[in-house]
Amino acid sequence: MTSLLEGAKKLVTRGSDTGARLEGLGTAAEAARGRLDDELVERAATVVERGTSRLRLSAAHTVVGIAGATGSGKSSTFNALTGLELSAVGVRRPTTSWATACVWGTEGAGELLEWLGIPPRHQTTRDSMLDTRRESNALEGVVLLDLPDHDSTEVAHHLEVDRLVALADMFVWVLDPQKYADAAIHDRYLSPMRTHADVMVVVLNHIDTVPEDRREAMVDDIRRLLAADGIPDVPIIPISARHGIGIDDLKGEIEKRVADKRMTAGRIEADVRAAAAELRAAAGDAPTRTLSDDRVDALESALAEGAGVPAIVEAVERSTRWRAGRATGWPLVSWVGRLRPDPLKKLEIDLGADAKALRGQGATSPQATAVQRARIDAEVRSLADDVSTGLAAPFADSVRRASTARLGEVGDRLDDALRTVDLDAERLPVWAGAVRVLQWLLVLTALVGGAWSLAALVSGGLGDLPRTGGVALPLVLLGGGVILGVFLGLVCRGLVAATARSRAAAADTRLRKAVSEVADELVVAPVQAELTAYTSLRTGLDRALS
Amino acid sequence: MSARHEASTDVGSGDAAMITALVRLRGALQAATLPLDLPGADEARTSHQEMVDQLEDYVIPRVMTVDAPLLAVVGGSTGAGKSTLVNTLVGHRVTASGVLRPTTRSPVLVHHPEDGHWFGQDRLLPDLRRVDHPTNDPDCLQLVASETIPQGLAVLDAPDVDSVDEQNRALAAQLLAAGDLWLFVTSAARYADQVPWTFLKQAADRSTAVAIVLDRTAPEAVQTVSTHLARMLAARGLKDSPLFVVHEGAVDDEGLLPAGHVAEVRGWLESLAEDSGARSAVVKQTLDGAIRSLTHHVHPVADAAAAQVEAAEHLLRLSDQAYSDALTRALHASADGTLLRGEVLARWQEFVGTGELLRSLETKVGWLRDRVVGAVKGKPAQAERVTVAVESGLELLVLEHAEEAAEAAERAWRQLEAGVSLLGTAGPDIGRASRDLRRRAERAVREWQGDVLDMVRAEGEGKRTTARFLALGVNGLSVALMVVVFSHTAGLTGAEAGIAGGSAALGQKLLEAVFGDQAVRGMAERARQMLEERITGLFATEQARYTALVEGLGLSSEAPEALRAAARRVDDVRFSSAQREH
Repeated sequence: MTSLLEGAKKLVTRGSDTGARLEGLGTAAEAARGRLDDELVERAATVVERGTSRLRLSAAHTVVGIAGATGSGKSSTFNALTGLELSAVGVRRPTTSWATACVWGTEGAGELLEWLGIPPRHQTTRDSMLDTRRESNALEGVVLLDLPDHDSTEVAHHLEVDRLVALADMFVWVLDPQKYADAAIHDRYLSPMRTHADVMVVVLNHIDTVPEDRREAMVDDIRRLLAADGIPDVPIIPISARHGIGIDDLKGEIEKRVADKRMTAGRIEADVRAAAAELRAAAGDAPTRTLSDDRVDALESALAEGAGVPAIVEAVERSTRWRAGRATGWPLVSWVGRLRPDPLKKLEIDLGADAKALRGQGATSPQATAVQRARIDAEVRSLADDVSTGLAAPFADSVRRASTARLGEVGDRLDDALRTVDLDAERLPVWAGAVRVLQWLLVLTALVGGAWSLAALVSGGLGDLPRTGGVALPLVLLGGGVILGVFLGLVCRGLVAATARSRAAAADTRLRKAVSEVADELVVAPVQAELTAYTSLRTGLDRALS
Repeated sequence: MSARHEASTDVGSGDAAMITALVRLRGALQAATLPLDLPGADEARTSHQEMVDQLEDYVIPRVMTVDAPLLAVVGGSTGAGKSTLVNTLVGHRVTASGVLRPTTRSPVLVHHPEDGHWFGQDRLLPDLRRVDHPTNDPDCLQLVASETIPQGLAVLDAPDVDSVDEQNRALAAQLLAAGDLWLFVTSAARYADQVPWTFLKQAADRSTAVAIVLDRTAPEAVQTVSTHLARMLAARGLKDSPLFVVHEGAVDDEGLLPAGHVAEVRGWLESLAEDSGARSAVVKQTLDGAIRSLTHHVHPVADAAAAQVEAAEHLLRLSDQAYSDALTRALHASADGTLLRGEVLARWQEFVGTGELLRSLETKVGWLRDRVVGAVKGKPAQAERVTVAVESGLELLVLEHAEEAAEAAERAWRQLEAGVSLLGTAGPDIGRASRDLRRRAERAVREWQGDVLDMVRAEGEGKRTTARFLALGVNGLSVALMVVVFSHTAGLTGAEAGIAGGSAALGQKLLEAVFGDQAVRGMAERARQMLEERITGLFATEQARYTALVEGLGLSSEAPEALRAAARRVDDVRFSSAQREH
């Protein structure tokens, strides 16, 4: 595929429209591979390959295929055009078993004939010694192919016709009065190739067998059938190869077509258009889209909720508050608080050592809760639904598949990611440590003051105590220690709350970043890849159909 | 077919038995439908339709009226000159001929005036309306009485077998299947075409009587072409078929060839018409061949029908597998503590931990206070918040597994051609959980919670006034019971199960403290069972969407065997009547 694209790109540098279209189709086919029907993609890729290789070959030549039913007079027409008895003509059907080529102007034709798969023994050149007649070189650059029939009992002939019909630049379809309404030609060739009307000519051979007054009606009837096939504007030339009627008209038509050198490109472009139209029909014409940042954010926050980030963050805040609070609060209060009896005991329910952990009391360090898979699945599916709304079924499916392909991993990966995030909940803030030391110093001070006061009281030396500001120093120590401790505890509450909040916010940011990485790798990137493929398919098709 | 003189007298019990057998075969064929797109189903369908058509159009009417005139169908390619041949044979213009293709669009049947009653509406080709004037309506059969046709013979001008007009081709095939004798017209340009030869091959397979007419051939080519054609016929199993050459000639104003050109064909047809024995032999050859080929072709169709039944069962098994797997997983997840995570766990811990439970334990009027506070603040009581969390948790669990099941079932079906086309009839949502599942799951969970509440209330009848009961309240106890149910299978081992198991243990202890451990076990069991029933019910409705698709096909598992039996019956009658003839 890549080599195809490179080939097509080279052609673009030659400034050819056809090359650009081929490249567009190539991009589209590549983007569609594995997403649209394989057969369809394969067909488009074949068109690209065929077109690319044809464009590399002689641009000076136009391959004109003469095709038709057995007995319609393809070989007679071929002979009449070449002026030579090259193709066998006969009454035994089918007559022609292999394709014969006649080339006007050999320069560069060898490669082309090799590409067409016409062996040298079935080739003739009109500038060789066979050419005994003088004639204008109007057919210069024509490679005329006499194809086998497509409707006889010889199936090998049909295959050869199908092969060459895919390669020729221009077609001369030979009909005859008996067979012009056969399903075999209309249903298998003319109607499926209605996109190729520009590179077709229809001739009605054996016109001499039709009474003159009926000829026009017959041509009209053919016109009606061609219109039903979807190719109303193809020229119809009544000829009689045997009697030479209309051969010059046919030759003139071919000359005219060949002269403007548009047949090769025209054929390829018709192929590209047909393949691109098929792809477009399958891919739908919903507008291209990308995952908006808002939608990704919504997914990530939903995933975060599902993974329990808010709960962890809350726990971080609680834990910090609890730890720092205990560190900075007045130590004796915390201590007394712990003496309170466990209320559950009142119910005489003994939970053993687990009790505290279960009730979330002692659990100071937050644990990542297990991910809620259901919630996450639902979110991912809803993202896929949102983004694939309006897309044609194959792409909507591929978006959904991409979004859920690694869904099984999401839970575990989120768990892992969240577990490895440093929550920073265990560490006591430095200032809280300092405050704790201070608190204990204050307690110590109060104790010293208390003990001193007590000693003085016992020894009765209250009056001898040193005084500051008129109050005995031990009492100042005792009172100051207690009051300052309580006061400090109260003052620190605000600080503790602020610290807890900021730590929670920091943990939240880190956790969400981890969630976002997982979501991006497992969900967002695959979905984005599908959307990118869709975009490149659409732009490729637009280029191919421009 | 060996005894030609007996053929005409062979009207009797054998025929009655044959008619019954054939009518039964038709019934059995119609019952054996082939709606699934299996590999080869297209061919089987075509073959099926052809057999039904041939039974109705030809075999059954023909067996009922063995004495009817011999019907020679003139068929062949467009432009080979069928209509010109018929007109010349009859001696005047009865059917349109011309240079524009396809010429003949509506079939024309020419018969002797005395034979008219044999071709009524209820006889051959019953679905073609009889008319007596030229028409272009392909659903009509124009009847022309003509003295120039000998009695005992009728000629049918059929449309072409290969023109671009598809209706023409189908009609031609139908008419050829209804003929006793084919006059197959071809031309120098045509005789090697693929399409007519596929028809001739069919005729050879069925041993239909065929005569070939080589028409529109230039005098100088006649020798080469007719030799080659004769060789082709021999190579394709039609070496006994007579080959007539009609030389090219100028047509007169009426569109007729000079009578001499068709004298050979006409003479042969007339001699057939005169000799009733030969005529019956031809009829019998074609009829026997048709019946034999029918009974032969029944078996591939019966196989195809059996394959359809099997494929339908396979599809059902696949969807069943997907849903029962998902159901098992959902039930497992609802019992192994998975639900006791995230929101539910947080709410439960709030309830039993720092929140309502402790407060309600501390003071006996706690619940009342909470109610009052709740009513004033508009905030649900803690136990109700657990209930809500449980509800959304269960709902998500069901939804997720239903989504998975739908996805798995669709994926499994997509692997099969039959599944793909069946899914195509179902609309795009079949691969997802149904849209109202969320609503139904919500209702089912609420109802289950209601049931649990009722159970706790009933169980606590005698314990209403105990301190513990009052402390927890009906709601609290229900919540505890739900928590126990959710960790039914989770042991207290393993780090994952630790918290969930612990929560459950706490719930269990609370309940046991109120009701006693025996009662708690029974309640948990019942609540679990009720939950499983609800979830199973939800999944059954989901799966029914797939089941309905398969059942909508109306496949009958007996049809293939019935079809084979009907074909054997026809064969039996055929053999016994053949033996009687000897």
